[in-house]
Amino acid sequence: MNKEIPSFQENIRKTFLLLSVTPVIVTVLAAIIVFIITWGTYLSFTNKRDCSQIASDTNEVITRYYSMLMDMEDVIAENGGDVKGAGDRLFSLLYECTADYDDIGNLMVFSPDRKVIFSSKNSIPEHLTREEYDNWGVWNRIKKYPGLTKTTLYSGNLYITRGVYQGKELEYALVYSMPSQVIADIVNARNRTCVVTDSTGWVYLSNAPGLTDEFGQINAILEAGPGYAKLNGQRYVCSKAALGKGLTVYTFVDLNRSIRITVMLTVIIAVIFLGIILITFRSTRSSSEVYTRDVKKIEDAFEEVSRGNLDVSLNIGSSKEFQIIGNDFNEMIDGLKDQIDRNRELAQNAAFSQVKQLESQFNPHFLFNTLDNIRFMARIDAAAADKMILSLSGLLRYSIRETREEVTVSEDLQNLQFYLNILQIRFNKRFAYNINVAEDIGDCLIPKLLLQPLLENAVKYGFGEKEKLTVNINGYQIRENLIFVCEDDGVGIDEEQLNAIKEQLADSSESSAHFGLYNIHRRIRLMYNGDYGLDISSRKGEGTVVRLTLPKKTEEKKQ
Amino acid sequence: MEAFGKKIKEITAALFMAIVLAAFLCACAGTGNSDAGIKEEENDSADKVVVISPHPVDFMKPLLNEFESQTGITVEIIRSGTSEAVKRISGNEAIDVLWGGSVLTVSSYDDSFAEYKTVNYGDFSEEFRDMPEGVTCFTDVPSVLIVNTDLCGDISIEGYEDLLDPRLKGRIAFASPEKSSSSFEHLVNMLYAMGGGNPENGWDYAQKLADQIGGNLLEGSSQVYNGVASGKFIVGLTFEEAAITQMKAGRHVKIVYMEEGVVFTPDGLYISKKAKNPENARKFVDFMTAKDTQRYISADLGRRSVLKDVEESPLVTPKEDINVITVDSDTVTSCKDEWTLRFAALCGEDGHE
Repeated sequence: MNKEIPSFQENIRKTFLLLSVTPVIVTVLAAIIVFIITWGTYLSFTNKRDCSQIASDTNEVITRYYSMLMDMEDVIAENGGDVKGAGDRLFSLLYECTADYDDIGNLMVFSPDRKVIFSSKNSIPEHLTREEYDNWGVWNRIKKYPGLTKTTLYSGNLYITRGVYQGKELEYALVYSMPSQVIADIVNARNRTCVVTDSTGWVYLSNAPGLTDEFGQINAILEAGPGYAKLNGQRYVCSKAALGKGLTVYTFVDLNRSIRITVMLTVIIAVIFLGIILITFRSTRSSSEVYTRDVKKIEDAFEEVSRGNLDVSLNIGSSKEFQIIGNDFNEMIDGLKDQIDRNRELAQNAAFSQVKQLESQFNPHFLFNTLDNIRFMARIDAAAADKMILSLSGLLRYSIRETREEVTVSEDLQNLQFYLNILQIRFNKRFAYNINVAEDIGDCLIPKLLLQPLLENAVKYGFGEKEKLTVNINGYQIRENLIFVCEDDGVGIDEEQLNAIKEQLADSSESSAHFGLYNIHRRIRLMYNGDYGLDISSRKGEGTVVRLTLPKKTEEKKQ
Repeated sequence: MEAFGKKIKEITAALFMAIVLAAFLCACAGTGNSDAGIKEEENDSADKVVVISPHPVDFMKPLLNEFESQTGITVEIIRSGTSEAVKRISGNEAIDVLWGGSVLTVSSYDDSFAEYKTVNYGDFSEEFRDMPEGVTCFTDVPSVLIVNTDLCGDISIEGYEDLLDPRLKGRIAFASPEKSSSSFEHLVNMLYAMGGGNPENGWDYAQKLADQIGGNLLEGSSQVYNGVASGKFIVGLTFEEAAITQMKAGRHVKIVYMEEGVVFTPDGLYISKKAKNPENARKFVDFMTAKDTQRYISADLGRRSVLKDVEESPLVTPKEDINVITVDSDTVTSCKDEWTLRFAALCGEDGHE
């Protein structure tokens, strides 16, 4: 909340982003996780399945050889213990069992002193015949388990052995050396990383050399059991199945490739996401702009109104809601404009009546003084008195007759002459004046009787004890303003009074204590909006300067 | 906006729930697996023995295989030089048995090893019975020279004296006696053989040999026989079985029993006093000294048995044909540190490596 309040568009955009991108990302992440779990479960499941399949197939084959050896024992027994005599029957049993393979394997029958009685092949491994093997390796197993069929791994060969005993005496030993192809075929059929070991972990067959140690045992980490295993930086899922017959099958899934694939997949998806986010980021900017265009319009319209421009209207056709808002806004603005116009009219009327009232206020003192002068003049100088009466009546006529609010500068100057005449006669040589108004402003419009109060004021405050008073009236144009300056060389106004005048000028409320200057100032303020009006400055003993500023207006312009 | 926000919250919450659920399921599956794994492991650790050994892998492999097959005990093997192995055992590492390392070298650390009399003790030859506490003899190992037959040319190498041939300068492989027990055996052997029975007199020769070697002592015994077999060196000072293993592997090397005299020193089996699996450790020692095992070792692996009625290996020269000399084991044991340091000094090493 302490942050800057975001714009509506920004909010809409954020909502777009949140609604479009977030669910996709979350869904895909969940999908990846589900994929990994499923994939892992699948891998370990198939691995386990193949492992037990290999184990059961191997078990089946070995069981077949077990029964083969037992059958052979029966055959020899039937033959009265004559092994050599039963040779052809032994061969036929052997062929029966090994029909599927290229190699029939080596079936050997040994006498108790390790002499070969029968052999299906010519070569006999030394570790079955030599003296030091009498209780070592294969022979150890034959003698350790009398009358039992056993599987023994020795020196890379897998032997199925059976010592046939007569009481406690070994009669002969059946030894079958399994062709390595048998189990290799089973393993190859599954196409899997597989290690077959004996029960103590010595490797019989392996299609992954890295999994055995330097002794030819399966690595202890893998031997430990099924599950996840890490070996030399390689990760495996390991399954283990022990056959009852002294063999253990391990199958492995090389996880490294899966991990690489998963990582690659994740990276690719991440890149795609980045792309999506970028695209969405941009597209939401434009679409949120489109969707919030009407709001923007409304915002702009209100902004305009607050700046004072009421000539705005909202035209919205994109959606019903905004259209209603727009129409209502337009209506509201129209109503507002009507109201303002009405108010303005009322104000103008009020100002007009006030101006009228102000215009009509002639200073009674002036009338009294002038009439008094005329009375006096009539005695000594009838012509002057006559002129004064003419001037006074001209002045009064101008003030009464002229109903227009504004007159041209030259008109006002002409009528000002009546007043000047009166002053001239009244003060005679004591009073001098210069009127210097630029000709080009002669047609400009100014309030009626604008200049007269200036003169009146100068005379009122200027003479004091002075013998002679000179008043200069200058009128000119500066830019679009008309300036009238009235300066006199009178005694000036003392400071206290000047401040009182200034205070009165600044006070816009209608005051009853009117005097000439205030009268003009008020009229200008009422008639013209803006920084116009009267300004007075004075110095004791040096004179007074009154300055009027008003807008330049001409008759043509007004119409 | 409020309504929007609510909706988003709902969606997010739903998805979040889904993820949590998935993660939970995943975790369940995961723990299910690891539970099984832990169980298996417990089963395994119940029946194991931790063995540290300097023996070559090819030597150990069939023996370990047979031991595991016969007993069902899993052997955890750690490969290490003898001195290092002794250090690790006395340093409280969880090791049950030291397998290998000459009796003369190891018996000076007999504090670390538990006393054990193997069930096969009665079958031992007389000379291998009287051993310090904690020492069980395993095989009898003579020191020999291993010579690369392709590289030796017409240099006749019959004994220590021949090693001083200038053509062999820098081509003799010898491991630091400090690190390798077989090298220490050789040092003892040459001191006695070249000193005419008095090791002090043998140091002249040791000096000359050190000059001939050029200060380049190897890190372990395996570097000696492998170095000669791979042609990096012409001749190496090693032990008999290592040379035989190389010959069996078809490498072009031959064994020379030094004409000045050959010292036979048994290597041993030592059970750590701090063994975590003492029962299995004893089974291991029993198995390795059993007659069947000793017979197999003698016949197939080229080591001389310590049992009295096991025939001598057909792979090795009979003891009668070798100029056997004996050493005073007390002197050797007490002088071990002094001699290794002294030899290291001759080779320009500071002896503290």
